[in-house]
Amino acid sequence: MSLNIAMLSPDIGRAAGSSPLSGLAPTAAPQAAPENDFARTMASMASDALNTLKTGETTAMAGMQGKAPLQQVVQAVMQADQALRTVVAVRDKVVGAYQEISRMQM
Amino acid sequence: MNDPLIAATSAAANGLFAQSTRMRVVSENIANADSTGKTAGADPYQRKTVSFESVSDEVSGADLVQVQDISRDEAPFRTEYMPGHPAADAKGYVKMPNVDMLTELSDMREASRSYTANTQVIKQVREIASMTIDLLRTS
Repeated sequence: MSLNIAMLSPDIGRAAGSSPLSGLAPTAAPQAAPENDFARTMASMASDALNTLKTGETTAMAGMQGKAPLQQVVQAVMQADQALRTVVAVRDKVVGAYQEISRMQM
Repeated sequence: MNDPLIAATSAAANGLFAQSTRMRVVSENIANADSTGKTAGADPYQRKTVSFESVSDEVSGADLVQVQDISRDEAPFRTEYMPGHPAADAKGYVKMPNVDMLTELSDMREASRSYTANTQVIKQVREIASMTIDLLRTS
């Protein structure tokens, strides 16, 4: 799983140049398309999580057929579970932010 | 980017795999404790030993364990006097496997303990990963 916490907010990576988190900053330059950045980040995160889920599923199938060791199946499924939980938590956060904006008084 | 928690899980999962291989070798040794040869004077089952080595994984950046080699124990065979046995030599002695039950059982217990330790590591890692994700939830 390559869910990158710093990716969620590129400003964190840029602002904290000296902090240990700066190593987590994405290599892609965020200045290239600032208006598109957040959507792109979310899309790449979702596809990463989807890949992890697919790996978990195929490994589980192989394990049921006796082609993959039990330990590998457990590891893949646990990683998929963790990825899914992370994505759900981030989604809840994003949806909450949208609702916050829509409730704003004009 | 490497997630240390995922690296820890990989290391523990490889430990599980290595210890289960060791368990397999022990079970083969115990199962074949009485396997003799077929022809007169033939060698019986030779005890297997397993050794581990450390390999560094580029993906996770962790030092993982893997089975280095499954080799044969060169210890001498014991002999038993069984003149009617097909594998008996001219004097009526049959070569029996060099499997010692006490050694195998202690090896099995060691593999089991190590396996348990690795599952505990995975459990703890999962717990702290969940705690970290839950930080996003509480608001």
